[in-house]
Amino acid sequence: MPDLAIEINDVSKRFRIYHQRSVTLKQALVERSRGRYEEFWAVRDVSVEIPAGESLGIIGENGSGKSTLLKCVAGILIQDKGNISVRGRLASLLEVGAGFHPDFSGRENIYLNGAILGLPRRYIKSVLDEIVAFAELEQFIDNPVRTYSSGMYTRLGFSIAVHLDPDILLVDEVLAVGDEAFQRRCMERIHAFRADGGTLVFVSHALDSVRAVCERCLWIDRGEERMLGGVDAVVDAYRAEVNRREQTELQMTEAAEVDTAPGRMGVRITSVGYSGPDGPTSVLNTGDPLTVSVGYRSLEPLDGARFTITFIGENGLPILSVPTDDLETGDVALPREGVVRLVLPGVPFLEGLYRVTVDISDIATGEQYKRLERVQPFRVHSSDRREVGMALLGHTWELPKVTSRASHR
Amino acid sequence: MASTELLPERSLQPRPRAPHAGPLATRFELLSELVRRDVRSRYRGSVLGVGWTLLNPLIFMIVYSLVFGKFLHVHYPGGSPTVFILSGLLAWTFFSQALIMATNSVVANAGLVKKVAFPWVLLTVSSVLAALVNFAISLLLLIPFMLLAHKGVGPPILAAVLLVAVTFALSLGLGLVLAAGYVYLRDLQYLVNLGTLIWFYVTPVIYPWSLVQSKFSHGFEGAAAHVVLYINPMTWVVLGFQDVFVYDRWPQHWHGLGYSVAFSLVSIWVGLRVFRRLRRRFAEEV
Repeated sequence: MPDLAIEINDVSKRFRIYHQRSVTLKQALVERSRGRYEEFWAVRDVSVEIPAGESLGIIGENGSGKSTLLKCVAGILIQDKGNISVRGRLASLLEVGAGFHPDFSGRENIYLNGAILGLPRRYIKSVLDEIVAFAELEQFIDNPVRTYSSGMYTRLGFSIAVHLDPDILLVDEVLAVGDEAFQRRCMERIHAFRADGGTLVFVSHALDSVRAVCERCLWIDRGEERMLGGVDAVVDAYRAEVNRREQTELQMTEAAEVDTAPGRMGVRITSVGYSGPDGPTSVLNTGDPLTVSVGYRSLEPLDGARFTITFIGENGLPILSVPTDDLETGDVALPREGVVRLVLPGVPFLEGLYRVTVDISDIATGEQYKRLERVQPFRVHSSDRREVGMALLGHTWELPKVTSRASHR
Repeated sequence: MASTELLPERSLQPRPRAPHAGPLATRFELLSELVRRDVRSRYRGSVLGVGWTLLNPLIFMIVYSLVFGKFLHVHYPGGSPTVFILSGLLAWTFFSQALIMATNSVVANAGLVKKVAFPWVLLTVSSVLAALVNFAISLLLLIPFMLLAHKGVGPPILAAVLLVAVTFALSLGLGLVLAAGYVYLRDLQYLVNLGTLIWFYVTPVIYPWSLVQSKFSHGFEGAAAHVVLYINPMTWVVLGFQDVFVYDRWPQHWHGLGYSVAFSLVSIWVGLRVFRRLRRRFAEEV
């Protein structure tokens, strides 16, 4: 069994929430208290063992306590219960450019920030050019940092951080900065760090990054361990839970949103609902089969009525409008009451919240019986996919081939 | 897991590892970086820059010597009110600046304390060291006035090293308590401002020790004034500075100075203990 790099043993951390943030002298002296406060356990009885060379992801919703746990390991916060032992040189990266002084030049800040992060001056000097090159700041390195754009600022902070070279690296979310090319280079550095046998603890909301970088994963829910195990299993379970929670939230709005009042000719829309691969739902993944069901009722049979279902994106623009007479031709006679279903074999939409507009009108005269605007939100997730945008269209790539050598290695 | 073939070739070669400097060496380097930052950030952006370090005590010295020497006819021993006032005032300015900067040292670096674990005590140490640097610069002010008053210094200048060390230790010890306390109690800043003002008047900076001896020789008030002045560790430091720069002699009040040394050492010990205790919740409260 490999040596343990970090041992977290029954760790709990309590915070005080003050009702009045600033305590005055009078309160401190007269009331002999530092103001009234409530205690709340941000982390409760968490235990994890991290062997040297492993990389552990920590996921959870905002405020679940994952950053608090990381800060305890870093030694910024001190746990109220339990103990944490760390073997090896530890560096924590909770913020890039911590302690930068705006009036100092980039070069001066490299020395300052490096010293704060615990790098010896001699070493900083030896990798200075490398840091500047990595940050792509050759021309600006002697300008004051306050003149930097936020991208330049972050790149500089990050370039120092990737030269930390510790045995154990704690990273909190900071990877989500910079442009895509820079992010990719940072991920390369993290992979290289892992390849060198470094131990990594990685807190992130970006589940795909967690999946890409980590072997094991800890899911923290309201300060407590919810699940600990292989990264794929934990991320999948977490994602399923997030979808479930979202669905109950979406369903709670459902009843209020469908207006069942009768329109012309007494036509009502009684329900609008969705089903996915596993039955009724309002949360789907891109590519899942989707059925939109519209329940209606009218005083008389609907002769020659056209149902139109329009999908509306988050920006309020229609993406796709599907009228029934596209599919059916000639006379369409519908009973007085029933459910109309639109079936999409695979939802083409990408990440986002979508709604539908339902319209019932007469095919011949265009007279509108009933219309519901932008009802029934449903959520589509596509975070496993690389495509970005509103809808997924079928595509293939054709790339040129290397003819002379098989590979660059 | 990402396969290693995707990594750039460069990263597959063993990278040079950061040398493992001893914690003491890295701490010293960090301290020097922090001092550099504290000193320079004080001057950047102001037109006069270092000039303020000289101008501030200069103007106070002129005001005090006009008010007390010219209008109130206080007799300053040694023949030169300027050198007399300046020698005590510079020491006092070092002390009070160090206290004020130290008080602010942790709260002013809240962003750092919340995000990076390093020996936060160095923030306070560096603020006091930055005040020491300012003090060293402000000593230049003494040269022209000592030349004007035909004064010189001999071997007793060596005693100034001890006096500076005592002032440094005293302000660091108190500063550590104040810096840690200020995180939790934001009223402390006003108390420090008020406290240093009162403390200034119970230290023989702008009035000579002989005046205290003659004017407050008897009665309850006299006794009270004596007690306050005697238990004030800065009294003996300031008198020492006056001995060195006004009289060119070794400090005369060795007993008092011994008391100040002991007081400052105790204050460092207490300061470190209080700081260590209170820093546990710095990152939450700051």
